[in-house]
Amino acid sequence: MYRKQVRRRRAVLALLVIGSFVLLTITYGRGSNGVQRGVSTIFSPVQSAADRALKPARDLVNWFDSTFDARGRNSRLHTELEAAREQSVGAQAALAENAQLRKIVGLDHGGAIPSGYEPVTGRVIARSPTVWFSDVTIDVGSSDGVAVNDPVVNGDGLVGRVSSVIGGSAQVTLIADGSSAVSAKVVPLGVQGVVRPAVGDPGSLILDFIDSAKHVHRGQDVVTAGWRAQGLSSRFPPNIPIGEVTHASIEEQEAQQQVEVRPFADLRNLDLVQVLTGGSR
Amino acid sequence: MILTPKILARLVAIVLLGVLLQLSFFSRVAVFHVSPDVLPALVVSLGLLGGTMTGAVTGFSVGFLLDCLLIAPLGGGSLVLLTTGYLAGLFRERFEIHSQMVAPLLCMVGTLFAELGFGAVQLMLGIDSTVSSLVIRDMLIKSVFAFFLGWPIYLGVKRALRPALVEEPAARRSRQPTVLGA
Repeated sequence: MYRKQVRRRRAVLALLVIGSFVLLTITYGRGSNGVQRGVSTIFSPVQSAADRALKPARDLVNWFDSTFDARGRNSRLHTELEAAREQSVGAQAALAENAQLRKIVGLDHGGAIPSGYEPVTGRVIARSPTVWFSDVTIDVGSSDGVAVNDPVVNGDGLVGRVSSVIGGSAQVTLIADGSSAVSAKVVPLGVQGVVRPAVGDPGSLILDFIDSAKHVHRGQDVVTAGWRAQGLSSRFPPNIPIGEVTHASIEEQEAQQQVEVRPFADLRNLDLVQVLTGGSR
Repeated sequence: MILTPKILARLVAIVLLGVLLQLSFFSRVAVFHVSPDVLPALVVSLGLLGGTMTGAVTGFSVGFLLDCLLIAPLGGGSLVLLTTGYLAGLFRERFEIHSQMVAPLLCMVGTLFAELGFGAVQLMLGIDSTVSSLVIRDMLIKSVFAFFLGWPIYLGVKRALRPALVEEPAARRSRQPTVLGA
């Protein structure tokens, strides 16, 4: 009885396997056949109903999957955004530095820096914490050839002079410092005077002691005068841009012999500067 | 398994419901970018409950229906699933099932076997497809899904076919019966 059952079982299994191979052989590569079309026709309404009925459940499961996926993607995008932001900030800083260096090179090539001076480029590493911003420290010093009283410029114009120096750094007193006085002239008139800081306004300068007979106008440029007389000479070489006349009323010029000047160099945001070494000391 | 017309009808209903659910639901949802395949687990459950014949015949039927509805070459799915069902039935006939973990574990192994079998049929039919690590990952994840879905499928099928199943030893009572007035 058992053997008969086993034989019958094996026969059915063999039949199913052979049937499968026969079906494969017959139907492979022939597209849809009559049986498939018939089954599809019968099941199509049922499938359609099941499809509609199960849609909310499908949407729910897919929502979970999408949410997990979105969370993972969100985290990944955050990481990428942080990396991109770091790169962007680095690139912007590099661009700004590049622009400053270009300006400095332009000042050099434009003839503003007279021959005999050897420019040494340095970076501002510390600033005075007061609101007056009168002193900055730079990362070049006597070991780079920097000496006291060397003029300091950036790509825009005159910044100040070296007031003290050690091996690897130097302190620069800005032209906005109360003790600063730079002999200057207005171009193209040639009216001479002394540039001093405006009292109570560190972002503004005053060109003082000008000849009241010659009227200076707003928008005219002020450059270093660079005088030399009887063995003495100015600490600053001539024709380094200082600033632009911003206020020049005739009454003020006649009464007080001074005009207001806005420095070209942004003294509050200094980064790269050049120390003009090797001049007349 | 004692086959009566009613049980036969239930088997047909289980097969139809399984294929419909697979095509309308499980194939169209994605968890971790992988759609679960419950049909091998269903065939394994039927094989475990009904033996080799039930496993092989239902496997063949599920495969045939699947191929018909998917307009695929007939016979490929049948061959793979009948083998899966037969092997599950053979396991039931050869070994005693003591642990509750056997069904889900066999569903997992059966699913992996079926997925590999489908791949082998594809190769046999000359359908070129690149086997990447992604395919293997999908197969493994499908098997893991089958492990978790295997237990409810097994229980559901067992419940549906209970009248036809050979009685198992009764579950031990958790406490002694109380005698009134004692």
